[in-house]
Parts: sequence; C-alpha cells; structure tokens
Amino acid sequence: MNSRSVDGRPEAQHVVSRLMRESLVDKQVIAGTEAPVRAILPRLNVIHIGGMSIMDRGSSALMPLLDEIIVNQDRHTQVVGVGPGVRGRHIFAVGLDLGLPTGALATLAAKSSAQNAYIVACLLADSGFVYLEAPFIVQLLPAMLAAARGAVFNGIPPYDLWEHPPAIGKIPPHGSDTGSYLVGEVFGARSVILVKDVDGIYAADPKTNPDVEFITEISVAELIARELPTLPIEPVALELLARAKLARSIRIINGLVPGNLTRALDGEAVGTLIYR
Amino acid sequence: MQSADNSMLTELGKRLVGESLSDATLQRATEDTPDFVILPWVNVVKIGGQSIMDRGRSAVMPLIDEIVDNLSRHKMILGTGAGTRARHIYSLAIDLGMPVGVLTVLGTAVAWQNAQMLQYLLAKHGIAFLEPEGFPSLPHYLMERGAVICQGMPPYKLWQENPEIGRIPPQRTDTGCFLIAEVFGARKMIYVKDEDGLYTADPKKDPAAQHIARVSVQELLARDQNDLVVERAVLDLMLTARHIREIQFVNGLKPGQLSAALAGEPVGTVIFNAAPKGAVASTAR
Repeated sequence: MNSRSVDGRPEAQHVVSRLMRESLVDKQVIAGTEAPVRAILPRLNVIHIGGMSIMDRGSSALMPLLDEIIVNQDRHTQVVGVGPGVRGRHIFAVGLDLGLPTGALATLAAKSSAQNAYIVACLLADSGFVYLEAPFIVQLLPAMLAAARGAVFNGIPPYDLWEHPPAIGKIPPHGSDTGSYLVGEVFGARSVILVKDVDGIYAADPKTNPDVEFITEISVAELIARELPTLPIEPVALELLARAKLARSIRIINGLVPGNLTRALDGEAVGTLIYR
Repeated sequence: MQSADNSMLTELGKRLVGESLSDATLQRATEDTPDFVILPWVNVVKIGGQSIMDRGRSAVMPLIDEIVDNLSRHKMILGTGAGTRARHIYSLAIDLGMPVGVLTVLGTAVAWQNAQMLQYLLAKHGIAFLEPEGFPSLPHYLMERGAVICQGMPPYKLWQENPEIGRIPPQRTDTGCFLIAEVFGARKMIYVKDEDGLYTADPKKDPAAQHIARVSVQELLARDQNDLVVERAVLDLMLTARHIREIQFVNGLKPGQLSAALAGEPVGTVIFNAAPKGAVASTAR
C-alpha cells in the first residue's frame, strides 16, 4: 500500500479516475470538465418573496400573494424562498456597529429570513406546503414535492461564517435573491420569479425621471454593463445568472398587483425578464 | 412600509434599514465601522487531501506527531482537503450530468471522511471534530484542548456558485479554510501540502521549476498561471479580505515545517496582499 516514488517520498494512494493526479486548479483540466448538465427537477418553479418589499408590509401585501400561489398549485410545482426584510437590516446595523465581520453578519441575518420563511410556511401549511431548512433541501426536496404540495425555504443561502468578504464594505453579498436563484439553478427549475414591490427594472429611477423607459426584457450582460445605480435584484445574482447552466432567466414582478404571479408562472411577459 | 424604530440607530443604521444594500455609497459607508477580531490567537491549518491524507500512514503519522507537539503552544483549527476520492466522484458525477451544487455535496463528503479519519487519530488527545453547526462551541474546545478538526469545504452544498469555466466546484477546501481564518481574524492561515510551496512551474512535472519564497497575490494574479498551488477563489478573496493579509504554504512531508510556520518562520511560500490595509480591491468583484 505504501509505495514510494522515485524520489523516495511516500506515494499517494489514488482511485482511478479521469481527474486522478490532476491539479483541479489547472486551467486546461478545468476547461476539460465542460459537459452538459441534467435538470434534476425541471418542473420546479422557484418563487422568491421579497423581505422588505412584501413580507414587511404584512397581511395586505402577503395574503393576496399567497392566495395566488394556492390557486396555482394544481397547475404548477412551486417552492417559495423568502427574504429577511428590515430585521436583517437592523441586525446588520447593530452587528456593524459592534465591528462584526461579514461572515458573522451573514449567519445572523439568515435567522431573520428563516423567521419569514417559517411564517410563510405556516400560512401555506393548510395547502400542503412544508418548511425545509437547507439540510432538508439537500436531502428531501424531491421526496417532499412528491408527498407535499410545495415547500418554503430560507432565501439566504447557507454560506454563514463562510460568506465572502465583499469588494466594498462588509455587507454579505449573497443575499436571499441569490439563494433563491441558486436553488433554481441547481435543480434546473423551469422558472425563477422574484416577487418585489416594483414593476421591474427601469432604465433610470422612475421617481426622478417620469418618462423613463421600462425594460421588459434584457440580457444579463447588457444589464450589468449599464451599471444602473440601484437594482431590485442583488448584483451577485446577476453575476451567477451570467454563468447559468440551467436556470437561464430571472423574472422580476410586482407582487402587489394581483394576477402578476399567475401570468409569470404561465410564461407571459410580465415585469422584467433578465436572461442569459 | 413598516420599519424598525429608528430612534436607537446610528446614522449608518438608519441608512441600512431604509436604503438599497446594492448602493455603493452605502456599502462604502460600512467600511468605517470597527473591525472586531473574534479569535486573534487561532491558527487555521489546512491538511491537504491528495497531498497528505491520500498518502496514508507514512505522510499522516509524522504530521499528527507534529500537531500534538504544538498543542501546548499554538491553538489550531485543522481543516481537511478532499483528494483522490473527490476526483473520482467529480468525474463520475460530471459524466452523469450532475450540477455543480450536487458535486459540492459529494465533494464535501470526501473532506468529511478525511476530517473523521484525522479525528480518530487525534481522539486520544481530546481533539473534537466540529461541523459548521457546531462552530459556536469551537472557542471552548480551542481553549481546553488546543485544536479542533473541521472538514475544509465551505457549507455551500447545493448553493455552490457555478465556475466561469467547466464543472469543478470553484470554492473547495482551500477556500473554506481561508474563510474560516478570515471570519475569525486568525493569526495564521497555513496550508500543509506536499511541496515546499510555490514554484515557477509544477515541480512534479518540470524539474527546472524554481522555488518562490514570497510573492504578492497581485503579482500572482497578474501572471495568470495555468496552474496554481491554491484555488483561484482564495487569491480573489485575499483582495477583499479585511483580516488575513498573508497565507503560507508548507511541505507536510518534511518534519518541522509546520512547527516553523506556526512559530512565525518564513518556511515554504508566503503569498501576501501588497495593497495597503483598507484599500478597496480593484480586480475583485
């Protein structure tokens, strides 16, 4: 077992594979792994409910949206990610004031979105939705969708202490838009729909430019190139969409307008579609 | 829209609860907050998978002895790499069309196996193996026993980002260990591999390759080498890290190198951040 190489050093015990002995950092080795990806749950629709935009408004905004999710249950498989909202912002404020690093802030904020997701799961429980924490998404989502009629999960991805320090400042870059998108990408979802409180993306701030162009469809490369100062979607989600293998678009819709979610699920042109 | 009662918030706090987090001026304002260091005395030591663990007893046991020897002097978080079984399952899973998130779940199991093996070997010294959920207990174990073991993969699982090219999960055990060091503000980040550090080419393939004792991350990125001693994600994250200014690579097959690195000696290769502390990274996102 403990064979030695010519230079007298102990030899590693390899399992034969295409990547055996290769450096996984080598650019040519990496490029050689390009291959088609299979969609694990191609009928899945990922619906992301914004924290500040929907949840923090309470029942007047949330309940009509949940009713619309229930109405669509018979026609569409839906999993619902939820954002943290203002409590996530508040714990950033306190945590930053205390000097806590980005990874600590990410761990803390994830509990705020977990709370919101748990509330949504309670409100949808009677319609057969279950709340799944990250380990159960990994192990049980397909089984749950076979048995239950939908699932609710924490939009913030489980990066926790391992969250990346961002290029500027300390705010965790992988927020709940990103986490919900990544669930769509890894399972090869049919659609990823971000439900917010704006109609979509405008070419400039509509509050200051009343005649501004509304964007119904835009490629992710062009959207990034436009460098709009604020967007109703996290910049990291756009970067990841640009590298998508399966979930090649994200639709942003206004969840305060009844019928928008149904139209988005039916593939109609509502809100803004960002595509790869 | 309901919002928190603003009366107790700082000026920055008021902006955080009211404005878009993607606003660059708001992000920049968070730069001025203090940097509290959670575990300034801890050392993160990554034990390579293919480079150390896969070699078995002849490589692992001397390193175990060296770790035990340092327990009374240095507090260590020992993270493990994955190695050849990960290469096998990545090959298999890519062939079967599995996405990067699934590959990450699979690769994590290999790093976990190596961590569990390491823990069996160190168990009689009272060393525990903590998974990410157990990290709040980590300071206690470090204070009591001097070291803890964790598996090196970050807990991203299905939420792993796609790489720009290819299908290999881009953030693996080098990255996971680096981010542990960064979030805790560790004293040192030491990678234990099977070479004396960086060379101008792969010394396993090119006998004319020359050793590099010290190099800046900026220079290394500018060289755009085909191969590297460490995951590219680590180099990118070094540019944005607030605590970790340098990382060190030592040869775990040479007795004494880990001890020397823990003692602060410049063995192996050091990759350092040449930008002044607090400078905004330009090349990273």
